[in-house]
Amino acid sequence: MRQQIPVAIVATFGFVMLIQYFVPHPFASAAYSKILDWMQIIFAAALILGGVTYAQSHLKKIVQRREGWAYSLLALGALTLMLAAGFWGGIGQGSLFMWLFYNVQAPLQQTVFALLAFFVASAAYRGFRARTFESALLLGVALIVMLGRIPVGEAIGPALPDLAGWIVGVPAVAAKRGILIGIGLGSVAVALRVMLGVERAWLGARK
Amino acid sequence: MNLAQLDRRWIFAIIALSVALPLMFPIGLTGEVSPGTRTFHTLIENLGPEDVIIVSFDCEASSWPEIGPVATVLLRHVLERGVKVVGTSFLSEGTALGYDLLATLEAEVGGEYGGDWVYLGFRPQYVATMLALGEDMQSEYPRDYLGQSTGDLPLLQSVKSYRQIRLVISIADDTMPQYWIEYAGARYGVAIAAGLSAVMVTTFTPYLDSGQLKSILAGLKGAAEYEIMRGERGAGLRGMDAQSSAHLAIIILVLVGNIAYFMKRKDT
Repeated sequence: MRQQIPVAIVATFGFVMLIQYFVPHPFASAAYSKILDWMQIIFAAALILGGVTYAQSHLKKIVQRREGWAYSLLALGALTLMLAAGFWGGIGQGSLFMWLFYNVQAPLQQTVFALLAFFVASAAYRGFRARTFESALLLGVALIVMLGRIPVGEAIGPALPDLAGWIVGVPAVAAKRGILIGIGLGSVAVALRVMLGVERAWLGARK
Repeated sequence: MNLAQLDRRWIFAIIALSVALPLMFPIGLTGEVSPGTRTFHTLIENLGPEDVIIVSFDCEASSWPEIGPVATVLLRHVLERGVKVVGTSFLSEGTALGYDLLATLEAEVGGEYGGDWVYLGFRPQYVATMLALGEDMQSEYPRDYLGQSTGDLPLLQSVKSYRQIRLVISIADDTMPQYWIEYAGARYGVAIAAGLSAVMVTTFTPYLDSGQLKSILAGLKGAAEYEIMRGERGAGLRGMDAQSSAHLAIIILVLVGNIAYFMKRKDT
């Protein structure tokens, strides 16, 4: 029963949502709107559950003094601070919550993201070598695209940006389109398997 | 100095200088405007004061230095055309950044909140929200970002669903425009355009070719090109100096790394 009831719920709602798309009746439209409301409620509940699990996981790490527990303490402290700021002063413009967001969270995230450039440069210097024909091809294409995306590339000659545009717009897109079609077909197959109860991994079942 | 084993701190220093120096001492690099940017410009030029668009800030704070200039130059153009804007966001961090930007730009053009623009705020479940916006906007957002009843906002008296929306612009650093295409575009027929981070261009070009996406403006280069078209010198063009020198530095480093590698291989 622990598996059959969730599968029955998923199958029912999956097929209802599938069928209502093709049914223009007001009843189908009303049911559709109601289900969309429920989706919001379930998602909000999932967010709370995620927050609780996050706190539990870090708390456990701190209590057991596992490696890196100090970082967990920092993570929990930050979570508590933001929650307290939000509940205490609200989350509107000019609140402490927003001050923390604009002056602590956003700059920190931007700084960490910017560090990528340094590591990419270092990794490119060490690893981006024309050892084989394929890696030489990759290297050549990368250099053309990088040069073609900046004004210096245009100064070298109009063919360079055009070539960079062609690489991004034709072979890269052809590969991407193939991947997207594969993902689309795979998604349909997985959805059908879940709705028909063939795929049960999401229930935690082994088979 | 053994170039093949170059201390990575030298590489970090080169990248830091190649980014910082052009920001401190701008070079003023410009470039050609690509056809894609011209298409987006024309798309906005075809909008007028009678049109209402949705602008969704589907981005994180981490990518704002890249996506912010795209959003700024696009929205400034939109607002100067007198277009009414309904702002929203499906990522919590983009919500505050988007409101801040929209409020600043609306103040520049004298836009009035409620009549010329509204900000609906954040919703966590984007698929359900995108679908619900096609049914009844006010029941999905009974209150706006500022806590006001959406029923009291003059702009939302006439805007009930996608039927009154001329265009959706998703300012995104990830795959959110794909959901706009699949749920708002495919089901309700609303036109979608995207302001993207540069890395997402390849992901969305297939949708551009199929007509599911009307236009793309991507990365600092896209923002810089749009600024050139509008005769502005904003964060896009300023950033292009730093991006250009950083690209050149990486290209030179890769070439030097390969020369060192082949020299070492020849010796052994």
